[in-house]
Amino acid sequence: MDKLRRVLFWVVVGLTAVFLLLPTLIIVPMSFTTTSTLEFPPIGFTFEWYGKVIGASDWQGALINSLVVAFAAAILATVIGTAAALALHTYRFPGKTLVMGLLLSPMVTPVIVLAVGMYMVFSGWGLVATRLGLVLAHTVLAIPFVVVSVLASSRMVNPSLALASLGLGASRWFTFRRVTLPLIMPGVLSGAVFAFITSWDEVVIALFLADVRTRTVPIMIWNQVRTNLDPATAAVAAILIVLSALGVLLSYKFREARS
Amino acid sequence: MSVSTHDRSLPAKAMASFRLPSAFWLIAPSILFLALFFVFPLLKLVAISLPDGSTEYYHQIFTTPVFLRVIGETFRVSLIVTVVTVAVAYPYAYAMAHGGRAVLLVLTVALLIPFWVSLLLRSFSWIVLLQNTGLINNFLIATGLIERPIRLIRTPLGVIIGMVHILLPYAVLPLYTVMKKIDLRLMEASSICGASWLKGFARIYFPLSLPGVMASAILAFTLALGFYITPALLGSPRDMMIAQMIAGQFTEQLNFGLGAALAVVLMVLTAVAFGLFGAARTALQKRDRRKGEA
Repeated sequence: MDKLRRVLFWVVVGLTAVFLLLPTLIIVPMSFTTTSTLEFPPIGFTFEWYGKVIGASDWQGALINSLVVAFAAAILATVIGTAAALALHTYRFPGKTLVMGLLLSPMVTPVIVLAVGMYMVFSGWGLVATRLGLVLAHTVLAIPFVVVSVLASSRMVNPSLALASLGLGASRWFTFRRVTLPLIMPGVLSGAVFAFITSWDEVVIALFLADVRTRTVPIMIWNQVRTNLDPATAAVAAILIVLSALGVLLSYKFREARS
Repeated sequence: MSVSTHDRSLPAKAMASFRLPSAFWLIAPSILFLALFFVFPLLKLVAISLPDGSTEYYHQIFTTPVFLRVIGETFRVSLIVTVVTVAVAYPYAYAMAHGGRAVLLVLTVALLIPFWVSLLLRSFSWIVLLQNTGLINNFLIATGLIERPIRLIRTPLGVIIGMVHILLPYAVLPLYTVMKKIDLRLMEASSICGASWLKGFARIYFPLSLPGVMASAILAFTLALGFYITPALLGSPRDMMIAQMIAGQFTEQLNFGLGAALAVVLMVLTAVAFGLFGAARTALQKRDRRKGEA
């Protein structure tokens, strides 16, 4: 009885792990199929779909949009979020809990609500169908991740180091640049990677704010998935998965440097 | 004596007046930015949903069967997804917490890989897996469990599978955090005292893991309420969830007032669910503290 229970338990856990991994693992092999429909297991082996995607001007345009928007949003969110996290970590001020709540709330607001709200406001400001509009929207989504990441790393910094620097006559700005910032850098960088990926993967807001000229890679995928499923989509997906994996490795490297 | 910035002996007021200028300049950009591009759009939705202060759109939502059906369907799907997600996450988190280092490593990797792949790509992958000629149907036919492919895509079942897959990591992590603090010797003690495994689990382990169960259930439920991509790709328009209806009002019906009102309803529902989350956590913490004192 005891043994049966144990076997059953591990079977359930094992199946859950397979369930978790299956959708990710099938994408890459599917992109190599020689058939014109998505097959798993793939039939034959070809790089044709990759060539098709890389050579297509609409995918190239989308890739450039995605990169520009994600870089800009990551930089903006990192600057704004790091400053806020430093203030939250260092100072006590009235309404601090409220500020913290505001900074984190984009993370828990349903993204469709944000998308339609931004659509209404941004169309009045002429920001719909512009890259700037997407950058601003994605920065909102990314700020909480930067704040969380920087707060986590600044909690591990000994506060007397900055005080020692100030006590030895260094200015506040010098202390920040030469003492505090290097110490929290791992948190800042991993926050920046998070911010980049947040923008890079975002689809719902982009559906409302982007047009044909400013559409990003996720929008292209969305359109493909809704119209015709072909292995080219799997090829794009595989490229994105590899890029995400690189991003994750990068962010873990930063965290390792921290400890 | 050290004078740290956290020194509680300094009166808060003196600290504030001494520090406030630079704290203000650090925090101001984020508040300004979020006020303009986050809070303002949400307030704008509230304003659009109440033209000239009239609540007609809300009246329409709560009296028209179509809208009530969509809200009901959203609750139904979210509830089923939550129950399934927590039920699947529970043994998984248990294995992570008590299975040893190697198991923890393997299960963590299996959990985090999909966590890092975008929701859109995973939903795309589920379309391929669930279609009539997909891997799942082929496998079931090959094993002789079914004769003809069963329809999985564009059904509520497909939506539930896709949503459980996306919510599972969110549900496992809080469960794992609670479970790894539970001392398994308590179970040994109960079995020495003659209790069956089931009784020990029901009377000792499960109650101790309850804070984790609640945390993951409420997190899963709250996130499920706002799902858009997965139901749009894996479900049928007949079983629409509220997020799809909101999008439809803005892109197809072009009824912005009604769409805004629906968005406000979703926002309020989400806020209530998160409020419950906070309340439940404080209640459980209080319970634990009382026990600690006793």
